[in-house]
Amino acid sequence: MRIPILKLNDCLLVSIQWELDDQTALQFQEDLLHKIHETSANGVVIDLTSIDFIDSFIAKVLGDVINMSKLMGAIVVITGIQPAVAITLIELGIGLDDVLTALDLEKGLEKLQQELGE
Amino acid sequence: MNQTISNYIQSHKQQIQDEWINRTKEEADERVVRLVSDRVFVSTSKEFIDLLISNFKGTNEEYTNRLTDFAEKVVRLGWPLTFVTKGLHTFNLIVFEGMQEEGIVTKENQMDIVYEFDRWATPMNNEIVSVYSSTWERTVSLQKIALQELSAPLIPVFEGITVMPLVGTIDTERAKQIMENLLKGAVKHRSEVVLIDITGVPVVDTMVAHHIIQAADAVRLIGAKCMLVGIRPEIAQTIVNLGIDLNQFTTKNNLKKGIEAALELTNKKIVSTGGAK
Amino acid sequence: MDIQSCVTIINEWDIVAARQLGRNVAKELGFGTVDQARITTAISELARNIYLYAGKGQICIDKLYDGGKAGLRINAVDSGPGIREIRQVMEDGFSTSGGLGAGLPGVKRLMDEFDIESSPGQGTQIRASKWLR
Repeated sequence: MRIPILKLNDCLLVSIQWELDDQTALQFQEDLLHKIHETSANGVVIDLTSIDFIDSFIAKVLGDVINMSKLMGAIVVITGIQPAVAITLIELGIGLDDVLTALDLEKGLEKLQQELGE
Repeated sequence: MNQTISNYIQSHKQQIQDEWINRTKEEADERVVRLVSDRVFVSTSKEFIDLLISNFKGTNEEYTNRLTDFAEKVVRLGWPLTFVTKGLHTFNLIVFEGMQEEGIVTKENQMDIVYEFDRWATPMNNEIVSVYSSTWERTVSLQKIALQELSAPLIPVFEGITVMPLVGTIDTERAKQIMENLLKGAVKHRSEVVLIDITGVPVVDTMVAHHIIQAADAVRLIGAKCMLVGIRPEIAQTIVNLGIDLNQFTTKNNLKKGIEAALELTNKKIVSTGGAK
Repeated sequence: MDIQSCVTIINEWDIVAARQLGRNVAKELGFGTVDQARITTAISELARNIYLYAGKGQICIDKLYDGGKAGLRINAVDSGPGIREIRQVMEDGFSTSGGLGAGLPGVKRLMDEFDIESSPGQGTQIRASKWLR
């Protein structure tokens, strides 16, 4: 199953609704990069509200896709990381150091506008 | 209970009691002796012996039923466990020796009587220990709950700004609890800035600092910002001396300054309304 | 008393199956959401290690009962190449797969108890437990 990527003005919206397996995650990476290329979007919001666990593989795929998007000129904001997910990531030793985050989709879009405005 | 033993105890009650009090006092932990006055000691001792003796009457079935009752009464006296078990042992010794002196215990029936004593004392010992330990377990779990309750409240002070005051020593277990509360609360209140106030934390060592840094990192992941306030001079000293790097997040020396900074971050400002005076 | 259920790890889908099993058992035992995430993540890491390095192995989930405590144990067994330098893989940042290197030390931090046995050419066994508080 593929993860739908929506376009909103010059931004892309992605809401991941179910547990990611490796294939889906890699497919998503590819799809998102193509979509950025296609739409020349400036920003991406990836909402993880429904995700209740992230392991190091998925974290790596996410981190990679953020860096790749950046290379293509699109800023990525991750939103809705659940407390349990944040705690496990930190305990695993994955800080996702340079990643922009926001509490929810709304705040994520705000943050994106701020970043793009500057 | 064996009739001979029971009879002996009934008829020598006073003698046994005096002897018990004497011996126990000699052997007793200084702690206990210091703790209780002479009068209290004698009267509670009497109580204890009475209890023990009352336990001798009746049939075996009654005995089993009464055991828990007895143990609970002993526990309620609030004596140290070692004192009670030793007291029990002393009691047996006195009775046995007394019976030996009077010739009730002979070479022939010696083993029978020893077994009889054992049959009587072992369940009582077990019951006392088990009641004691369950009392302790209950206390410990109650205290644990009490500790959790005061663990770490998260207080929303303005829209988007919450404060978590930390009080007391932080161990690993508590640190995890605090992190959970912090993150869940931050999401629930939709906080943009979370202030952790460590004014009430007596010691910040590497472990505590590590947990605070982890918490701050996790807060960043959920999309909020973490600020550490209430840093006293001695804590600033230990943090630097231990080489702990807190440069990644904002620190302020008190909650007031922290809240001012938080307001600024969320584009808010407190203005005076300039009253009539 | 142990009650065990297992998942054989051969392909990537088995990783998903293993962590779903773990999550269900954790939920059943009454672990909170954060501990559920810790356990699921630890299983995912261990299962992926098996898939990547050993090719084939097994993840078993035990329910533990010890006195008044209940807990969950992950048992990851493979007969792959084994680990030559256990101390090295337990260091943060060490990785042979080009991943994030969170692997085993991360799993250790997520769980309460962690125990690894490995000999080159024989395979690896990792046990990690978490107790209900």
